[in-house]
Amino acid sequence: MHYIHQIPAYVLLGLTRGSMYALIALGYTLVYGVLQLLNFAHSEVFMSGAFGSYIVVHAVVGDGKGTPSWAVPLVIVIGLLSGAVTGASVAWTLERVAYRTLRRRGAPKLAFLISAIGASFFLSQLAGKLFNRFRGNGFPKYFDQNRQVLRISTARVQVFEVVIILTAVIMMIFLDRLVAQTKLGRSIRAVAEDAPTAALMGIDIDRTISRTFVIGGALAGAAGFLFGTAFSFSNTVGFDQGTKAFAAAVLGGIGNIRGAMMGGLLLGLVEALVPPIPHIGIQWTDVVAFVVLVMVLIFRPTGLLGERLGRAA
Amino acid sequence: MNRVMLRSPGFKRLVACLAGSLVLAVMIGPQEGTQADYGYAFRQAVFKPRVFVFLGIGVLMFLLVTYWPRVTPYFTRPGAVALCTGLTTVIAAQFLLRWDDQVGNAKFGAVSRAVSNTSGLSPATTAFFSWLHWVQFLVIAVLAAFAVAQRNRMLAWVTAAFAVVAGGIAFYAHNDVISFSHVADHSFGAFTTLLGYLVVAVGCSAAALSHEQATHARDSIDRVLAWRPGLPIAAVGAAATIIAMTTSAWFSPLRLNASFSSTHDLFAGYGLSPISSQYLAWLGWVLLAVVAITALSSTYLRLRLGGWIAAGLGVVAVLLTVVTLYDISKIGADNNVDAATGPWQNLGSGGWLACMGFGLMAAGGFIAATAARTSTGSASPSTPDTAFVPSESQGGLSLRTASRSSKNLLFVGVVLALFLPPTMTEFWQKVLVSEIGVYVLLAIGLNVVVGWAGLLDLGFIAFYAIGSYTTAYLVGSLPHKPPAWLHMTPLLAIPFAITICIIAGVALGAPTLRLRGDYLAIVTLGFGEIIRITAVNNPGNITNSTRGPSPAVAHPRVHIGPVHITWGLNNLQYWYLLLALIVIVVILFYRLEGSRLGRAWAAIREDEVAAQASGINTPRVKLLAFAIGASTSGLAGVFFASQIGYFNPDNFVLNNSILVVAYVVFGGMGSLPGAMAGAAVLTWLPEFLKDQVPADDRQMWIGALVLLMMIFRPAGLIPARRRKAELGGLGSPPSSETRAVPASEGL
Amino acid sequence: MTAVTVGSEAHESDIVFDVEHVTLRFGGVTSLNDVSLRMYRGEILAIIGPNGAGKTSLFNSLTGVYTPQEGSIMLSGRAGDPPQSVLGKKTHVVNHLGVGRTFQNIRLFPALTALENVQVGIEARQRSGPISAMLGLPWQRREQRESTHFAYQLLGEVGLAPKANELAASLPYGEQRRLEIARALGTNPGVLLLDEPAAGTNPVEKRELAQLIQRVNTDRLVSVLLIEHDMKLVMSVAHRIVVLNFGEKIAEGAPAAIQRDPAVIAAYLGTSAEEAAAQAAAAPDVQLIEGTTEAPLEATPEDTRDDGEVNP
Repeated sequence: MHYIHQIPAYVLLGLTRGSMYALIALGYTLVYGVLQLLNFAHSEVFMSGAFGSYIVVHAVVGDGKGTPSWAVPLVIVIGLLSGAVTGASVAWTLERVAYRTLRRRGAPKLAFLISAIGASFFLSQLAGKLFNRFRGNGFPKYFDQNRQVLRISTARVQVFEVVIILTAVIMMIFLDRLVAQTKLGRSIRAVAEDAPTAALMGIDIDRTISRTFVIGGALAGAAGFLFGTAFSFSNTVGFDQGTKAFAAAVLGGIGNIRGAMMGGLLLGLVEALVPPIPHIGIQWTDVVAFVVLVMVLIFRPTGLLGERLGRAA
Repeated sequence: MNRVMLRSPGFKRLVACLAGSLVLAVMIGPQEGTQADYGYAFRQAVFKPRVFVFLGIGVLMFLLVTYWPRVTPYFTRPGAVALCTGLTTVIAAQFLLRWDDQVGNAKFGAVSRAVSNTSGLSPATTAFFSWLHWVQFLVIAVLAAFAVAQRNRMLAWVTAAFAVVAGGIAFYAHNDVISFSHVADHSFGAFTTLLGYLVVAVGCSAAALSHEQATHARDSIDRVLAWRPGLPIAAVGAAATIIAMTTSAWFSPLRLNASFSSTHDLFAGYGLSPISSQYLAWLGWVLLAVVAITALSSTYLRLRLGGWIAAGLGVVAVLLTVVTLYDISKIGADNNVDAATGPWQNLGSGGWLACMGFGLMAAGGFIAATAARTSTGSASPSTPDTAFVPSESQGGLSLRTASRSSKNLLFVGVVLALFLPPTMTEFWQKVLVSEIGVYVLLAIGLNVVVGWAGLLDLGFIAFYAIGSYTTAYLVGSLPHKPPAWLHMTPLLAIPFAITICIIAGVALGAPTLRLRGDYLAIVTLGFGEIIRITAVNNPGNITNSTRGPSPAVAHPRVHIGPVHITWGLNNLQYWYLLLALIVIVVILFYRLEGSRLGRAWAAIREDEVAAQASGINTPRVKLLAFAIGASTSGLAGVFFASQIGYFNPDNFVLNNSILVVAYVVFGGMGSLPGAMAGAAVLTWLPEFLKDQVPADDRQMWIGALVLLMMIFRPAGLIPARRRKAELGGLGSPPSSETRAVPASEGL
Repeated sequence: MTAVTVGSEAHESDIVFDVEHVTLRFGGVTSLNDVSLRMYRGEILAIIGPNGAGKTSLFNSLTGVYTPQEGSIMLSGRAGDPPQSVLGKKTHVVNHLGVGRTFQNIRLFPALTALENVQVGIEARQRSGPISAMLGLPWQRREQRESTHFAYQLLGEVGLAPKANELAASLPYGEQRRLEIARALGTNPGVLLLDEPAAGTNPVEKRELAQLIQRVNTDRLVSVLLIEHDMKLVMSVAHRIVVLNFGEKIAEGAPAAIQRDPAVIAAYLGTSAEEAAAQAAAAPDVQLIEGTTEAPLEATPEDTRDDGEVNP
């Protein structure tokens, strides 16, 4: 009964992990929605967000000692913004270099995937060369991330978990409203539904695609900052997180914004809740995640919420 | 600044080029970031005078891109493409390749420094390594460019002659250095330089001979090859054999490089078998003369019978050469020369080069003998009936209908695959077997799934793992031993591994075939990870976890009647085994591609609904693709396990699955030669880059290369015939940028 | 037309398709509503109706792409076959039962040659598997020869033999249409379903197409079920016509009768049946086919989008 007793703690862990997955998965889903392409290099956008925000945060707070507590929220906002800006600019460049050129040539679909894989290798290793290849980079300790702020049964809610979950929720609501209500959101949905018709209606397809990448990149970059705040990061951090986030996007129905959020949270919860069950063990975490994914896809071949971007909002 | 200028395409392009040059500045160089200071590498790369070089490159790129339309007309001049290829080859040889086995990093610069500190070399050698090399390059480059651009026939001939001489000087200088230092040599620098200059010479002669425009390099090559089928390849073979007989080392233990004639003297009185003794004394020369004359004359005069005779004689010559090589190395080993333990050791490259030469001449004869006689007009007049009845195999899928250049390339490839590996260093032999060869086999298998059936499989390495572990189990290397009657040698495990992989392929395929493209991708990816994690930790420790099989998986053995072959640690042995496997698989798959199943795969890839409406049982056809691909992967797994002996789950990480997909697409998905070439190039490249860039940067360069390849040649190195159409597919003009993919794409 | 037995006295095995009370819904939209029809062996039956009438939905129900919620569809594809239900069968199984079809928006295999396109259809019925193909066993070679031969023969019948080795994508529109018919014939169908074969073709091609359809019908003894907007073509080749409107069958009969049917005219002109009947009474020479030149009957390629398009 030890396990049942611990469930609240696992749920908290799952929500934290799931929020990260969801933020990254949104980028996969947005791009898939408008291009029907799997943007394999999105994981490196996330990674670059971590490095970019690190540089800015490091410049602001130094090694972090003596940062007054009133400044902490400010630093977090700066970190989020810088991560988002880095992510957005990397994603924008990526679209220009690895996608738009191929689109102009009418390349087969797999060529996009491979060019994205090439870009992914390139970006990850370039970051390694430019910054460093150490496994354990960590942000300056400008606040006590592990201080307990709340206790719900066995779940000890720590500061960083509050930050991650809160930020993720805010950004997801923001994105949902953006896609549902703004002009940009409408053009994204229009391109996702039927690009040729959207073009006839006067929507600039190239620009819409570009902006979609930017939005997805900003979310992933901010996620990079959040990830770096909580865990240690490196130039290869994108691969694992990216794979899981892609799985989350598919789980929810790739191309579907709310599906990506739901898929991310669900995957995080499954990963946190299932392996600790007696006789399973955490070494099976990835297996559990993928088995759940396969099960869902067998019964719902287009994911939990189906796959249309337009229909989601 | 005014906005119009900022928004002009020219300005944008300039900014892009300059940004690109800065990225290049970061990429090139030894600087590495540190954990203490994230900006260190950037400052070292950019805030130094070297940045101006890179900015210059950026501006150059900008100019080149901007004025590209003015440059392109020159490329249609005869010989221009060959000229560019040749000059690039020479530059690459000078900067990238090794010129020696011993000196420093063995690049040209190191060798030339060593030469300048050495006295006793011939003056030509010294001059070549100090200044002559770039003078002759510049002179030839300028003259050739002028000759081709202006179509000056006289100048073109002169330049061609110059180029041949320059290549000869480079080759001679290198030989001089090698014979001076008396060491075995495996470098390709001088050979490649010679080759480059010869290509330049060919380009110049083409410029001198022809006034036709050839927009496609391939067309002009085809035209050259069609002039006298088999002649070019036979001529190359003759040249190679002459070089082998005159300058190359045949027997080269430490501190000795015995050429063909001195090998004879060396072994006089050591009890060489009569055939080998005669071969070294005179038979070799006679064979050279006879084979060369028959091959060249029959290809030139288009004599069918002569072609067959040349082919036969060439094969006999190859066999005699191999026998001789065996004899001399055996005697060397018996006399314990340089601690040799068995035959085939201490041999120089000369014998193998001679084999290549004879082989190429035989191939030339064969091509001449089998060449179609359409040009002579002797073909039977075709009645309307027979005109519609095609040969059994269509669509360029058989040797008979293959284009001339691919036929020639095929023979060159076979000859190189047979006789080049023995001349390589042990390092490269190992790379050839355990990287290039194995991944070529994997790419062939994945090409069935991805290229032909159009199913994106990101977990292909799982079957490789299953094949490997099956072998490990059957030879008794896992903690759980098989029952005695099932205990077997690795080669016998092949059918079992294939069967199990087919079962696994079907088990993966059956529930997931309803899924489309990207869903399938993530499920297969998950399958690959599940298999790997299961191999790491499973109840009962069936797979011995991260330690991998132990004791090591046995090496293959064959004992059939009088044939006893035991594979040991020599990579070369494995190479020939692998080559045999690859050849068998390729032949089988070529037939498959042209069969109803191959067409059915293409059909479901192109349009699944129409395929169903045409009566194709799509689940079955897809399952077959999965099963056949998986079985190839399993075969590769058997080979891998028995060759490497020790392995562990880390050999089967997700990254490898993704890489195999990249190989297939890089090479040209759906094209067997493409997939093989893609795998070969991309597995060779990291090892080659070891000499060129810091080891950690290799993946970065490979990523960049893959990216550029997809941008500039999205159909891959050797595009598939059935895929070419797709770029401008049915009903979706290439100009419509809205959807990246025609809806018919099955992925 | 006289060769066809029409009426309830027809023998059961002479019925190719026996559609009874079929209803097909997509969510809240009813695409086919209680449609019943019979197709007899050897006839050319045309299905006409305005856009959105459910013609392609009917096709997709007949070929197993969609499964109607209500009703039954019995099929006896080739002469002598016992009637079998189509419902719930996979598309390729229905094809094996003798139903060949073409698509409204051409669906060839663009990267295959014309010959290979036809071969795909022929070879779906062959037996040899991958192993015999890899080993080049004799029966596999024989099958391959047969398929090549038959494919050339079919290409000759549709007039594409000289273009056998060209990629399907590179053929002009009209030839792609004919190639699709050849591919469908390759599956040796007892009944051929043609979905707007004349859409986007020019008058000369239309005439050739009409001849081709009749040739297929008489020489190969293949029953033809035809969806077409081009009334001239329909009237010239069809033995019988079924008219659908808003998913319901509103008329059935010989072309001449259909042309004068008030309900049909009403459906096409968008008026009520009474008005149309009044009009017809007032001007008895009004015939659909003459009326069509101005009315929206003459299909242009743009308005051939039907509701029930197959979404893979």
